[in-house]
Amino acid sequence: MKWPRRRFLQSAGSVALLATAGCELPQALGVVGPAKAARGPLTAPDGDEVDEIAHVLGRLSHGPRPGDYHRVREMGVDAYIEEQLHPESIDDAWGDYRVRRFESLRQPVGELFEYQEHLLLKELSEATVVRAVYSERQLYEVMAGFWTDHFNIDSSKGDCPWLKTADDREVIRRHALGRFSDLLRASALSPAMLWYLDGRSNRRSSPDEQPNENYARELLELHTLGVHGGYTQADIMELARCLTGWHVRTEELFKKGKVEFKPDAHDQGEKAVLGEVIPAGLGEADLDRVLAIVTRHPATANYVAEKLCRKFIADTPPPAAVRAVADTFQTTEGGIRATLKTLFAHEEFRAARGAKMKRPLHYLASALRVSDADSSVGEPVMEYLLRMGHAPFQYPTPDGYPDEAGPWMGTLLWRWHFAKALDENRLGGTQVNWAALREAAGGDEVFMRHVLGRRPRPDEARSYLACNNSPAVLLASPAFQRY
Amino acid sequence: MASNGFVHGNPDHPHCLVVVFLRGGADGLNMIVPVEDDGYYRHRPTISIGKKSTMALDSLFGLNSELGALYPLYQEGDLAIVHGVGSEDETRSHFEAQDLMEHAGPSAGGWLGRYLRTAPRVIGGPLASICIGATQPESLRGAPASVVMESIQTLSLGEGAEGFMDGLAGLYRAEEEGIGRAGHSMLTALRKITELQHTPYVPAAGAIYSGDDFGHGMREVAQLLKARVGVEAVALDLHGWDSHIASFALMNPLMRSLGDSLRAFRTDLGPQMAHTTVVVMTEFGRRVYENASFGTDHGRGSAMMVMGGGVCGGRVHHAWKPLEDAYLEGPGDVPVTTNYRDVLASVFSRHGGLSSFESVFPGFAVAPVALYG
Repeated sequence: MKWPRRRFLQSAGSVALLATAGCELPQALGVVGPAKAARGPLTAPDGDEVDEIAHVLGRLSHGPRPGDYHRVREMGVDAYIEEQLHPESIDDAWGDYRVRRFESLRQPVGELFEYQEHLLLKELSEATVVRAVYSERQLYEVMAGFWTDHFNIDSSKGDCPWLKTADDREVIRRHALGRFSDLLRASALSPAMLWYLDGRSNRRSSPDEQPNENYARELLELHTLGVHGGYTQADIMELARCLTGWHVRTEELFKKGKVEFKPDAHDQGEKAVLGEVIPAGLGEADLDRVLAIVTRHPATANYVAEKLCRKFIADTPPPAAVRAVADTFQTTEGGIRATLKTLFAHEEFRAARGAKMKRPLHYLASALRVSDADSSVGEPVMEYLLRMGHAPFQYPTPDGYPDEAGPWMGTLLWRWHFAKALDENRLGGTQVNWAALREAAGGDEVFMRHVLGRRPRPDEARSYLACNNSPAVLLASPAFQRY
Repeated sequence: MASNGFVHGNPDHPHCLVVVFLRGGADGLNMIVPVEDDGYYRHRPTISIGKKSTMALDSLFGLNSELGALYPLYQEGDLAIVHGVGSEDETRSHFEAQDLMEHAGPSAGGWLGRYLRTAPRVIGGPLASICIGATQPESLRGAPASVVMESIQTLSLGEGAEGFMDGLAGLYRAEEEGIGRAGHSMLTALRKITELQHTPYVPAAGAIYSGDDFGHGMREVAQLLKARVGVEAVALDLHGWDSHIASFALMNPLMRSLGDSLRAFRTDLGPQMAHTTVVVMTEFGRRVYENASFGTDHGRGSAMMVMGGGVCGGRVHHAWKPLEDAYLEGPGDVPVTTNYRDVLASVFSRHGGLSSFESVFPGFAVAPVALYG
């Protein structure tokens, strides 16, 4: 066999797991892991409509847990936003601990090739869901998801099964709340992206070799200016010329996956992209020149602002908010944090409550959070995502999973199945103590408000009572599909 | 997919595409037999199918009589055959070939999933895509949602679901638009399925399916289609075609199952067959030469069948070259003269309203086979 060392490491890991298997897993984690972050009492919103606290909590996170509402009410909405915009200041020992078992997430690029590809995808996808459910840095996780779709890579192409793990860590997560220009540059030089959009095959060693335009096109259409951003086919072709020569090593074991610039495969001639001339002979510096051109192009600010507003405000983003958000993006030269700050302060954001439809991953995470579930997020949870067409890192085309409600309307059946399974504690690897939760709420009335994020309407209360106070009917209700 | 992406009630005649995948590499040569090709008999002295054991399809091919149930369909023009079909994959590995064929190339995501997402005429309701089996096939990967079921009996919300569904009905009814409508149509579909679960199913017109899993699966597909619950694509498999040894013993029961069940399906659906297309495909064909254990090894070109949906059948589409060494591919295989995408594209444009195929078959210059005259 090819990888005896890794095999040994894996079996050593399983021995360690067996050693702890005597005790119940959650308790075992509690004993050896860090303490769970303390949360306040279970107070629930009591407006007839979603109030500002519940709204902001819902949009910046994967849904409230018991105690979150209380905490945000105590600290104030603006302080909560500020806190979430600075994930580095948030203690997330518990969240970090829960993903520590995914050993592959920490491996450098070269080492990743020692793993079997399905194991990498499994660990990366499960970790994504675990973080969505358990991380304290919720906005950071929401933004990581946003950029994962923006710079979508289907992890099944070429060497992507191995390289996506590095892309997730070093591109998406490293820059999720940083600077757009850094994020874009990291993505352009990400070996996974070079594989996925054929940048590695984009070479021009001689004048009769035609550049591969795949990445150049998506860079303009999906990553920066947007499809109506005012570029032409000629711009795509010139941009592709600028990007020739970037190569991903496939040969040597420990340098496999390393990105290198090959001057011989680069088109050294003069180019013109979006009206700006890139003089001949810059070599690999062409990359930074063109990335600077596209990053400061107003269409990019507008396109990114529109996507952010669609994500955080409404499927049809209000133009005034898009303008304000685009302005900040432009003036801060793509400062993601500052851009989000403008968005979250905008009146359109504060007003647009309860009308976005959760995507399947968000739905599952919010149900696990609202119920304070103890979940290992294994196969049973991932199976639901697969059936709902939302398995992480498996979207087939470069545009990423859609954010609008329409494409997800067909997923209700599996949401209802999940609600029922969670209610009846039939979901493998997941435990919910409903009785304790109801007790913490002090009865059904507060419990319903906790789940729905507002007072139940008469029909909701009726259905809940008619179903013997079953949480499933609340989790399966139209209100809980939205945020 | 239609932009609103859910069922506005159940339309009267949604088109449904049923994809039957013959797993293991089905030997097209012994199914659609080139009875007038001497090379065929020379290369397969023991396991070839004699002309007398076939039914004439045209001046070159005969239908293996084990598939005889399909002959009347062919004669009536409701079954078209394409020979020499395959993919560009040359690995001859089941896994690679199936994977590539279901993804339609290395760019991944399944072609059936992409079709459901992008075809203008696909409505995309909650039960738009169904897979009969234990797991979702790769071809459906990336579909907006898919229902994987072993049988109709397993497709429900479980014990005591009636109260739960009533409770949900009240909540979803309260909303007119978007999610309310989607929930309502899902509940309607579930109710119909619950009815199906409680009513013994009698196929129409005396149709008799084969008694194996495949026959059972096709029967359930017919049952679902007749209930009009918004099914627009179905994937199901018929396993076991890897005929390295004793190909007769292995293939004959499979061919009978395939032929009998397809015929029963058509009889059972009756007029609904006009908006239902069944496509039969496999990852690759077999070596032209037989091996020493009366079987065949992994090859390249095989046959595809298209039944129903207004197909101009009664015809074998092919670009046949005699099975002489000079014309064989690689170690002695039927050359791939038609890419499987070109067959599917024809069905997609007819029934899904697709005019450009880049979204479904990226990076491939599609030349649809003239299946509809």
